[in-house]
Amino acid sequence: MIYLDCAATSFQKPGEVLRAYERTLLSASSPGRGSYAPAMRASVAMLAAREAAAAFFNFPDPERVVMTMNATHALNIAIHALAQPGRRAVISGFEHNSVVRPLIASGMELSVAGRRLFDDESLLRDFRILLKGASLAVSTHVSNVFGYVLPIGEIARLCRQEGVPLIVDASQSAGVIELDWHELNCAYVAMPGHKSLLGVPGSGLLLCGQKQGTPLLFGGSGSDSRQKTMPDYYPDRFEAGTQNAPAAAALSAAIRYITKRGRKEIERHEQELCSHMRQLLQNREELQLFCPEGEVQSGVLSFRCSTLDCEEIAARLGEAGICVRAGLHCAPLAHESAGTIATGTVRMSFSPFNTHGEVEAAAAKLIKII
Amino acid sequence: MVNPCSAFFVEVTELKQYLILCRSVTSAQRCARLLQSSLIRASVTKAPSGLTKAGCTYALLLHGKLENALSLLRSNKMPFGKVFSREDRGEWIEVQA
Repeated sequence: MIYLDCAATSFQKPGEVLRAYERTLLSASSPGRGSYAPAMRASVAMLAAREAAAAFFNFPDPERVVMTMNATHALNIAIHALAQPGRRAVISGFEHNSVVRPLIASGMELSVAGRRLFDDESLLRDFRILLKGASLAVSTHVSNVFGYVLPIGEIARLCRQEGVPLIVDASQSAGVIELDWHELNCAYVAMPGHKSLLGVPGSGLLLCGQKQGTPLLFGGSGSDSRQKTMPDYYPDRFEAGTQNAPAAAALSAAIRYITKRGRKEIERHEQELCSHMRQLLQNREELQLFCPEGEVQSGVLSFRCSTLDCEEIAARLGEAGICVRAGLHCAPLAHESAGTIATGTVRMSFSPFNTHGEVEAAAAKLIKII
Repeated sequence: MVNPCSAFFVEVTELKQYLILCRSVTSAQRCARLLQSSLIRASVTKAPSGLTKAGCTYALLLHGKLENALSLLRSNKMPFGKVFSREDRGEWIEVQA
C-alpha cells in the first residue's frame, strides 16, 4: 500500500505514539474526576499534552490549550464563542466546510477574501477591505485541497489592526509548517491532533487567546460542580465530559517524535516528495496540476484529468493499493475559488513516512491509468 | 529489621498538613510541580466537600513549608484559592493566606 492521504489523516504513526496510546488506555481512567492513581495518571497525560503543545507552538499558557475531538470540534468551539448573529464574518476563499457550516449555522453573514489560487496580493487586498465593519475573521493557514500556504501572519496583523478577532484553522499546517503563536497573536488557533501532528483520531487542540466566549458544550468538568454554569477558566470551560487521555498521551509522544526528527526536516521532506510528483506528472497533457509558478508550498498536490473523472482515477488507484482522495474534499469554497467546483480534483498529500520510491510507483500507476 | 526510611516518614507525618484549593486539576498539577521543583512536598488531591461551596475542587496537600509554598505560587502568578490547616483532631481550619 502507498498511502498518500495525509491531509485527511496521517494513517501511519510513529511506534512510540501507538505505545503511548496503549499504555495510557491500560493504566489511566478519567482525568479530573478523582485523586486515585488511574484518574491522576489520566490528568497527568492531559497536562503533559497541553504543555507539549504549548512549547511546540510557542504558546504562553498550557492551561489555555483546550483538548478537542478534532479540528472541526475546535473550530466549532471557537466560532460559537465569537459568532454574532446578523453580523459579518470575513473568511478566505479556501475554507473547509468545518468553517463555513458553523458560521452559517450561527447566523453570520459571510464575506469571502481571495478567490485566486496562490495569489497573496489579492487575498490581502480583499481582507484589508472586507475587515472594515466585520465582527469576526476566520482563515485557514493552508488549503486542504491545493496546499496553498496563506500569508497567515499578515492576515493576523490586518485583523489586529482592525480590531477584528481572528480564528486560524491550522488543520493542514500544525506539525509540519511553522506556526508560532507570537506571530499570530489571535483569538483562537484550531487544529487536529491526527494529521501532521501524527497523533491518533479523536484528538484535536484549540489554543485560546484572551477572549472568553460562550462554551459549545455544557456538562461535567470535574470542577465547581455546584455551579449551574460552566467554569469561567480554561481549560475546564471548554472541556465538558470525559476527555480522551489516551489520545492526549499519544499526542505528547507525537510532538516529541516531530521535535526529535525536526519539524523543518519533515516539511522539507514532504515538499521534496510533492515536487518530485509534480516533476513526474507535469508533462502529461491530460493532467492539469494545481501548483504555484515557482515551487510547491506544502506537501499537497491536486490535479484533474481531461480524459478521466477524478473519482474514477482515485478508485482505480485505490484498487492498486494507492490511497488518494478525490472530489471536493469538504471544501467546495476552495474549489469555487480555483474553478474546479464542477469536476473536483484528485489530491495527493504526503507524510513523513512516504518515500521517493513510493512517489515514482504512484506516478507510474497513475500514468498507466490515464 | 529497622526500616532506614522510618525516621524520615515519622518526620514527614508529624509536619503540619495544609490544603491549598485550586480552581482545576490542571492548575493543581502545575502548582504541585512548581512546588516539587523547589523541594516542597506537595501532592494533588480532591478537597473535602465541606471546604468549598463550589462543589468538586482539587487541592494541593502540603506537609509544612506553607509560607514558602504560597510565596512561590504568588511569585509565579499561579492562581490558588483558600488555604486550610489540619488541626489536631483532624478537622480543616481556614488560615489567612
